[in-house]
Amino acid sequence: MRTEISEVSALEDILDKIAHTLGNLENSSSLKKFISQALKKKVPILEILEKGLRKGLDEVGRRYEAGEYFLSELLFGASMMEEAMKILAPQLRAQKLERKGQIVLGTVRGDIHDIGKNIFKMFAEGAGFEIHDLGVDVNPEDFVRTAIEKNPDVLGLSALLTTTTPEMKIVIDDLQKAGIRGKVKVLLGGNAVTNQFGEEIGADAVALDAVQGVDFCKEWTR
Amino acid sequence: MKEIEGMTPRERIRNAMDFKEVDLVPWAESFYVETLIKLFSEGLPAHKMAVIEWEMLGNGNFLVNWPKLLGFDPYSYFGCMSLADCTVPVDIGPIPRFKQRKILENAKYQEYIMETGARSRRIKKGGKEVSWYSMPLFYEFPVKDKKSWEQYKVRLNPEDPRRYPKDWEKDGYLHIFDEYQDGPTMLGITGFYGFGAELMGIPNFNLAFYRDPELIEDMISHWEYFTIESIREAVETFKDRVDYVFWWEDMAEKHGPNISPKLYKTFLLSHYKRVAGFLNKNKIYRIMMDSDGNTQPILDLVVEAGITGHWPLEVNSGMDVRTLRKRYGKKLFLVGNLDKREIAKGGEAMQKEIDSKLPFMKETGGYVAGLDHLVHVEFTLEKFREYADYLKGKLVIQ
Repeated sequence: MRTEISEVSALEDILDKIAHTLGNLENSSSLKKFISQALKKKVPILEILEKGLRKGLDEVGRRYEAGEYFLSELLFGASMMEEAMKILAPQLRAQKLERKGQIVLGTVRGDIHDIGKNIFKMFAEGAGFEIHDLGVDVNPEDFVRTAIEKNPDVLGLSALLTTTTPEMKIVIDDLQKAGIRGKVKVLLGGNAVTNQFGEEIGADAVALDAVQGVDFCKEWTR
Repeated sequence: MKEIEGMTPRERIRNAMDFKEVDLVPWAESFYVETLIKLFSEGLPAHKMAVIEWEMLGNGNFLVNWPKLLGFDPYSYFGCMSLADCTVPVDIGPIPRFKQRKILENAKYQEYIMETGARSRRIKKGGKEVSWYSMPLFYEFPVKDKKSWEQYKVRLNPEDPRRYPKDWEKDGYLHIFDEYQDGPTMLGITGFYGFGAELMGIPNFNLAFYRDPELIEDMISHWEYFTIESIREAVETFKDRVDYVFWWEDMAEKHGPNISPKLYKTFLLSHYKRVAGFLNKNKIYRIMMDSDGNTQPILDLVVEAGITGHWPLEVNSGMDVRTLRKRYGKKLFLVGNLDKREIAKGGEAMQKEIDSKLPFMKETGGYVAGLDHLVHVEFTLEKFREYADYLKGKLVIQ
C-alpha cells in the first residue's frame, strides 16, 4: 500500500513539475528532462498531456488573461508546448489520441496577415484540437467547402484589416445558404473585429485574443 | 492651420507639448495613401493639393528650371498639421539598402525583397491590380540568428557619410530651418522593440528574448550605439531647434504590450535612458513614443525611460486620454485618441466623441487633437470634412 501511494505521489510530482515548468516558463531543457523522466517511469501519455503539459499551458493562458504574461510569454509558452509535443509525437501516433474537437481556420479573402491566427493555432493545438489551417487570403467558398468536408466544431475567421471584415459576413451568409450554419460555431478574431461587429454579422463569438479564442472552443466542445 | 495673431503653428505645438498656454489646441493627422486616393475618387480637388516645386531638370543634369510634382498636401487643405512636416535629415536605415525588387508573381500575389531586406507579399485585387497601399505581409526577415545579425550589422554603421544629405552643412541647414519652417521640426528615430521586430519579425524577435538573450542584448546595445552616433551631428547642431522626437515603436497589441514589463526593464530600459539622456543633454525634452495598441502595463517604465509624449492612443485598445492624464499628469503630453470608428460615422457619434474628450484636454493642456491612428480608408470625404469643420470650431481656447 505504501509503495502504491509513493508511486502515485512520484507520478503526481513529475506531472506537477511539467505543469509548473511550462506554466512558469522556466526553461525548455528542464521541461524536456521532466518529460523524459515521465516517459521512463511509464507515465501514461494522456496523463503527461492532460495533467502536465495542458495544465501548464492553461496556466500560461490564465496569466496572459490576468495581465501577468504578454505576447512574448504567450509565444514562448506555445513554443515550449510545441517542443514537448515533438518529444511525445512517436507515442501519440501509436495511441491515436482522441481530439477535443476540430477547428477550420483561416485569414479571410483580401487579408494576408497571420501572426494572430498562428498564435491561436499553436494554443488550440496545444489544448488538443485538430486544426485545418487554410492559410491566408481564403475565399468564402473555400471556408464553406472545407466546413462541409471536415464537419468541424468551429470555423475560425481572422482579419487584421478593417477593410476585409465584410468578408466575414460573406462567409457566414454562405454557411447559411449551404445549410450548415447551425452545425458549426463561427469564431472571429483579429485586430479588426469587435464584439459589436460580431453581433451585427451573426458570429457566435469574437475572440479578443488567442487564449480567449481557445476558451470559447473548449466551452463549445465540452 | 489658420494662424491666430502672435502664435505660429510651431510655437503652438511646442507650447502644447510643454503644457504651456496656447491660443488653440493644435490638430494633427496622418493619412494613409489609400485613403487619399479614395478621397480623390470622391471629389477631393487634386489641383488644390498638389505640391509642385520648380527644380533643375533631372536633378541638375540640365540647366533648365522645370516643375516637379512632389505629392499631395492634404494637411493645408483640411487645416490640420502633419506631425512629420519637417524632419531632420538623418538616414537611419540600412546602408547600403537592399534593392527593392519583385522576386515572384503568380495569379494571386506579387512578392518583393524590400529595402530593409525583408520579403513581402502583396495581394492582387481581383487577380489583376496590386494593392500597393495596404500593409503587405512580411513573411521572411533578414535577421534570423547571430550569424545573420552580424552580417546585417555591417549595414548599420553610424559613421557612413551617406547618413546625411550630400549638401549637409550645419549652418546652412540651421538657416534653412529657421527661415523657411513654420511648422514643427521632428527628429524620427526607431525604438529598441520596433527595430528588432522589423528585422526579425514579431514572433521570432519576441521568442529571442527567451531563446537567445545574448543575441537580443547585442542587437539592443548596437542599436543604442547606432542611434546616438547616427543622430549625434544633427542633434548637436539643431539642439532645441528640434521641436520633438518621434520615437517609433509599435510595441503593443489590443491586449497589451508585446513584451512584458519584466523584459522591458531587463533588456530595454537602460538603453532608452541613455538615448533619452543624450537628447536631454542637448536640450531636447519633447520625446514622443509612437505605439499602437494598449501600452498601459509598461507606461510607468516608458515614462521612467525618458519618454514625455504618446501617440496615437488607440481607443479600440482601451487607451483613453482622460485616464492617462489623471494617471500621469504633466509627465506625458498626449496626441490623438479621437476614436476613428466613431468619428468616421459622422453626425452625433462624431460630435459625442469629440465633446467627451476635448473640453477636458483643453482644460488640462498638453494635448494635440487628432484621430487615434492614421485616417483610414473607411472615411468618406463628406465625413472627414464634417469632422474637420466640427473639430476646428472647438479647438479655440476661450
